[in-house]
Amino acid sequence: MNKYSIGEFEEVVMLTVAVLYENAYGISIKQEIESRLKRKVSVGAMRTALNRLEKKGYLDSHFGEATAVRGGKRKRYFKVTPLGKKVLEQVMETRKQLWDSIPSVAFDFKFG
Amino acid sequence: MSDLNSIPPPKFPTRLLRWFCNDTLIEDVEGDLSELFAERHKKSPAKARLKYFLDVMLLFRPGIIKNFELKNGLINTAMIKNYLKIALRNALRYKGFTMLNLLGLIVGLVSSMLIFLWINDEIQVDKFHKNGDRIYQVFRNMKQSGGMVNTTWSIPKPAADLMKQEYPEVEEVAQLSWLIDMEFIKGDESAEEEGYFATPNFLTLFSFEFLEGDVKTALNDLGSIVISRAIAEKQFGSNWKEKAIGSAIIIDDGREAIVTGVFEDVGTNSSLQFDWLLPAQYFFNRNEWVDDWGNGSFRIYFTLRDDTDLPAVAERMYDEIITHAAGQSNSGEEYLVTHKFQDYYLYSNFENGVIDGGRIDYVKIMTIVAIFILLIACINFMNLATARSGRRSKEIGLRKVMGAYKSSISKQFFIESILLSFVAMMLSIVLVLLLLPLFNQLVDRQLGVDFTQPSTWYFLVGITLGVGFLSGLYPAVLLPTFNIIRSLKGSVKQSSGAAYFRKGLVVFQFSISTLLIVGTAIIYSQLEFVLNKNLGLDKDNLVAIRMGDDFGERLDTYRTEIQKIPEVEAITASSGNPISYGRSTSSVRWEGMSEEGYEINIMLTDEHFIKTMGMEIKNGRDFNEQLTDSTNFLINEVLAELMGFDDPINKDLSFWGIDGKVVGVVKNFHMRNLHESIAPLVISCIAPSRTNIALVRIQGEANKALESIAQVNQELDPDEEFNYEFVDQVYAESYQSEMTVSSLVKIFAGISILISCLGLFGLSAFTAEQRSKEIGVRKVHGASVRQLVLLLSKDSHY
Repeated sequence: MNKYSIGEFEEVVMLTVAVLYENAYGISIKQEIESRLKRKVSVGAMRTALNRLEKKGYLDSHFGEATAVRGGKRKRYFKVTPLGKKVLEQVMETRKQLWDSIPSVAFDFKFG
Repeated sequence: MSDLNSIPPPKFPTRLLRWFCNDTLIEDVEGDLSELFAERHKKSPAKARLKYFLDVMLLFRPGIIKNFELKNGLINTAMIKNYLKIALRNALRYKGFTMLNLLGLIVGLVSSMLIFLWINDEIQVDKFHKNGDRIYQVFRNMKQSGGMVNTTWSIPKPAADLMKQEYPEVEEVAQLSWLIDMEFIKGDESAEEEGYFATPNFLTLFSFEFLEGDVKTALNDLGSIVISRAIAEKQFGSNWKEKAIGSAIIIDDGREAIVTGVFEDVGTNSSLQFDWLLPAQYFFNRNEWVDDWGNGSFRIYFTLRDDTDLPAVAERMYDEIITHAAGQSNSGEEYLVTHKFQDYYLYSNFENGVIDGGRIDYVKIMTIVAIFILLIACINFMNLATARSGRRSKEIGLRKVMGAYKSSISKQFFIESILLSFVAMMLSIVLVLLLLPLFNQLVDRQLGVDFTQPSTWYFLVGITLGVGFLSGLYPAVLLPTFNIIRSLKGSVKQSSGAAYFRKGLVVFQFSISTLLIVGTAIIYSQLEFVLNKNLGLDKDNLVAIRMGDDFGERLDTYRTEIQKIPEVEAITASSGNPISYGRSTSSVRWEGMSEEGYEINIMLTDEHFIKTMGMEIKNGRDFNEQLTDSTNFLINEVLAELMGFDDPINKDLSFWGIDGKVVGVVKNFHMRNLHESIAPLVISCIAPSRTNIALVRIQGEANKALESIAQVNQELDPDEEFNYEFVDQVYAESYQSEMTVSSLVKIFAGISILISCLGLFGLSAFTAEQRSKEIGVRKVHGASVRQLVLLLSKDSHY
């Protein structure tokens, strides 16, 4: 494609992080994806995706306050970086271009 | 979210996670997981634990795992990486040997894992009760003739009442009957199910899982019945949950009982097996004899308020029977002893009133077998590794030149063997899971591997490391001692000591296998012996048919009809299957007796009993139809000896208030299996006899005979189900656990030989390969295949 490569699952994760805005941490992202996309997400798969996206610079993270739930462990909140936003836009752009270029007969199944 | 004091997630997976997880990630990953766990725990704790573990396993992936190199220092991990790489290359280069090694290890691991599963299951029996370690059972030691002591769990009921009233230390007392077959009638169909009469607190004392109804009150009402889920489903269909409680079901002779409780089917991990429970009081009300100190009745279980009181309670209880039954005509010399209920399954053999082994012996035997098999598999690995060490001599030499310590070379070989045992373990687990259904069939159990239990993982990891360490031990000690120069030249001559040691190990392997085979042979011949032993009666071609309670009155008609069948040789009736005779004892007295009466087995029969059973009369005469023998008795040799007369014939004998005379002595026959010594016995043919079993000796085709008998039964008593068993089969079944262990030992002895042979095969294949040049030269000079085979078979040196 082009210089920003991103997988389908990664895209979903980034979008969800954006949707959740201030409240995007491990479990909330997992649950949001599960409820919206009706598919099971393992903690492992999601965690790797988040990690990779952060390494690439598409996501940024910071620790929240420690609470008594979660065994006293802090939450790590994620945020989409400007670079991440650019990538997402680009992905959407490419998709849109592809959609626009589809000839109308291609989806005309009457005589198919 | 969840409440503040939520349950902490399982420890083992958490520790695992902390070990491998990247330090920068661990905090929130762990937080996420524990939050998820708390959420799931509300729905199902078991599932939550499993899912937690799965999640941790799924986190074991690149990107999450921390960088171990940085933590442990560079050189160390680099070397370990190198060891792993070399080990892998070596394994792949000599595929045949690797396969052989793996195969031996896998067979060994699979066998021992299966055995350990079985052992674990045996040990777990009766351990699921919450009060398990506080429940005690009362046993009764009965003094027999010749100083022998017979032990039974059948205790006089007044003893239980006394414990409740006068023993402040005793918390609860529950009573349980013997196993009873009872008919459950639904419409036209009826089915026999086994169960007990039990006092209400039986359900609270033990922890059988209760599904419906109130555990505390379920057995309070006389008309109530508590049934298993299986019966509930049979009676009320799949939606029994709504229908069962409060409904009436018809049992036995059309009596209605109201279902007041449903319990989960009793699993194989319980020694008490039952499908229904009726209130004991119902039985007590209809059987007044239970109130007599002289009559053994139900089992007694009890718990103590404080376990330290046990010795005092046991001591006080010891002679309660003697005290209370003194002066009664049916009292004997009897003592009460207590044993922990939990241990009874494994330690159930009473030898003269004292516990002496039991199933624990089989558990011990199988543990030894499992350890032997693992040992043989480890030795294989050792031998192959050291024999082939020549292959690695250059590598070892070079490592030494580059400055490797002996210890690091040892470490290398340890890592190699542990790696191999790890791979073998992985494959073995898969194999075990595949083989389990088959194995379960063999041992008649529901064994399973529970991966959610930390102990399973400790066991697996322990065995892997243990086997790896053991099999790497010798190579790791031997190989680093190689001389640098020689090993670089590739001309390492192993000392003859090493070769001898190897041979010694092979001999050791085969001695273990031989030992196992000898053991098998002994167990097998023991079984053969007991199954074919002359029991004093002819148990072949003998059918025992269960009849209704009024059978005694219909006996004559029945006999006439049955004898018309050409395949029937003889028929008789009795109050029990003669070789699985339930104890129906009574106090018997005879003339000139000084002490109290003895508890002696009574068997009720008709005049044809001795002939039909193929028993022998030692002296005196058999019952005779022409004479009225109602008050004449036959006794067995044991009783004759007990009575102590030179000639017991025509001596007076009385029980149940019947005074009669002894007319004959019958040769001893075994009334139960050979585990128990022959008890004194009185055979009586009081008419109309209180018999409920017809014993038919058949000849010729068994099927045809059974068909005709079934027809007669149908005609004479259409309501009664035709219920029969072959006496020899019943006898064989009483040796079920012996047979299981026998077949287990047989199979695993075979396997041990197989593994030993694999090792030997590997060694000789290697020798042949080493001497390929020699063989080539010999061939060039005209050696025949036969000569070469002979040469290699001589196995002069490795």
